[in-house]
Amino acid sequence: MIAGVMIGTLRLSVLDVVNGVLGIGAPIPVSVVRILRLPRVLLAALVGAGLGAAGAALQGATRNKLAEPYLLGVSGGAAVGAVLASAFHAPVALVPVAGFAGALVAVALTLLVARASGGRGDARVVLMAGVVVGAFANAVIMVALANADASAVRGALWWMMGSVAEASWVQVRALALFVAIGIGALLALGRAIDVLALGDDTAAGLGVDVTRVSLGVYIAGALLAAGTVSAAGLVGFVGLLVPHLVRLAGARTHRAIIGAAALAGAALVVCADLIARVAMPPAELPLGAVTALIGVPFFLALLRRLA
Amino acid sequence: MFFARRFSRSLALASLTVALSGCARDAAPTHDAITDDFGDSLVVGAAPNRIVSLNPTTTELLFAIGAGPRVVGRTSYDIYPAEVLAVPDIGPGLRPNVEAVLATHPDLVLLYASADNRDAAMRLRASGVSTAAYKIDRIADMARVTLLLGRLTGDTTSARRTVDSVHATLDRVRRETSTLPHPTVFWPLWETPLLSVGGGSFLNELIDIAGGRNVFAELPQPSPAVTFEELLRRDPDVILSGPKARLRLIADARWKTLRAVRENHVLVIDTTMINGPSARVGTSAVSLARLLHAGAKF
Repeated sequence: MIAGVMIGTLRLSVLDVVNGVLGIGAPIPVSVVRILRLPRVLLAALVGAGLGAAGAALQGATRNKLAEPYLLGVSGGAAVGAVLASAFHAPVALVPVAGFAGALVAVALTLLVARASGGRGDARVVLMAGVVVGAFANAVIMVALANADASAVRGALWWMMGSVAEASWVQVRALALFVAIGIGALLALGRAIDVLALGDDTAAGLGVDVTRVSLGVYIAGALLAAGTVSAAGLVGFVGLLVPHLVRLAGARTHRAIIGAAALAGAALVVCADLIARVAMPPAELPLGAVTALIGVPFFLALLRRLA
Repeated sequence: MFFARRFSRSLALASLTVALSGCARDAAPTHDAITDDFGDSLVVGAAPNRIVSLNPTTTELLFAIGAGPRVVGRTSYDIYPAEVLAVPDIGPGLRPNVEAVLATHPDLVLLYASADNRDAAMRLRASGVSTAAYKIDRIADMARVTLLLGRLTGDTTSARRTVDSVHATLDRVRRETSTLPHPTVFWPLWETPLLSVGGGSFLNELIDIAGGRNVFAELPQPSPAVTFEELLRRDPDVILSGPKARLRLIADARWKTLRAVRENHVLVIDTTMINGPSARVGTSAVSLARLLHAGAKF
């Protein structure tokens, strides 16, 4: 059903182009739109899938319903990489690469900090280490932006707000591979995450290597998130919200949750991109802004249900 | 006794002259006061010799009216004319470092009149330095501010000559292109996000004068964000860009969906003049007209 929504939205986009409903009435060759629209929609779907799956896995492994893919310093690290690249006027193609590298460095730092604090397997320690690294990253970003010129600041801010506007087939192919591997890894860990959900001691008693499985989830999740960030900037709320929706819809085992979250995440981000494109013509809203705007009321509704 | 009378008469005459000139000095400020774009007033006194110009456009105008040698401070963005590079770089023009400016012992500081600079303007005035802030966004501002700078630097003739020369060129270009077909133009100022020259920019005025039509002229902002699909819909005949940007555009799969790119109508312009309308708008109009109307003579 969720997959149907996603494909439906995809079809909707192309059909609408052909029918000129989305305000683009003039005769645009469909093949031309395929270079603009299709990569964009596919990239949005991949980003959503990666974030949804990563969020679901992390929420399971940390036993914390508020965990989300940018947790382990990913968003901070990626932003530092991208902002520094912008501030030093690196070629535009390098910004996503810098973002990815920054994310990796941040995740490594987080895990190092967690280990130094004595609890790499302890979810709370890892979460707090992520917060620390994130705070440090924010400081670095502030320093970089304070001394950068206006165009660098604008470019950096735009990147941080998230967008699939510059999607290309190259990006789609790269991210597709990445997301496939990442989600595959998480699905494989699905059963172990189910056991982790029972508590560290219980899990250890049942033969699950808590530290290794947790680490595996953190790293796979963070890499997935880093990949999506490098392709589309920071797209918040998806990884946080989608697992909740999927669990509400009845998914129980983590394999199902992760899989369904990937599909739901893809649908959500594709919708968000659609809204970003048509909400305020002729300008475009940043994707991260739309997901936040959709996410907030959803989350409020969720909270009311839980309370 | 004769000498005594003459002496006392001279003395009386002398004191009278001094008294009168004192009155004249008090009267002068109300005649020669200028109000800048922040609404602050500035007295036109002796011509300043140490001018700090914190706006690339005012720097260019100062050099154009011959006051270049008096410039002792500029921003990091001031690169034209070449002589300005020998002038010390004081940093950014927005939210400047007031201490760095004061360290050059200026007797006149020129700022860009944006809200970001109100604080600096206030602090410079409080330190006793003549400060004027101007917004030079449209071609009409160029003329106004050039004449004001002429008054401030005591060389109104040179300022008048500069303005008249620019106006003559602009009028000539407008006249000569009025009978030619007007191609539609897209001028991207930035790619991520995609910003276009809008109706509020002097660059739009330049496109008009040079006999073109900006596809996004109806948007009132100077540099509005636009979507690629909207650009595709408006299908410009010509795209203007800097040399490096052009190489990127013509190789990009997305940009190749535009007719202007496919038909090789991505034209290179001198992007150093896009900061603001300086005395170069005249020559810029001529270059742009030549680009848009290949083969016509200007």
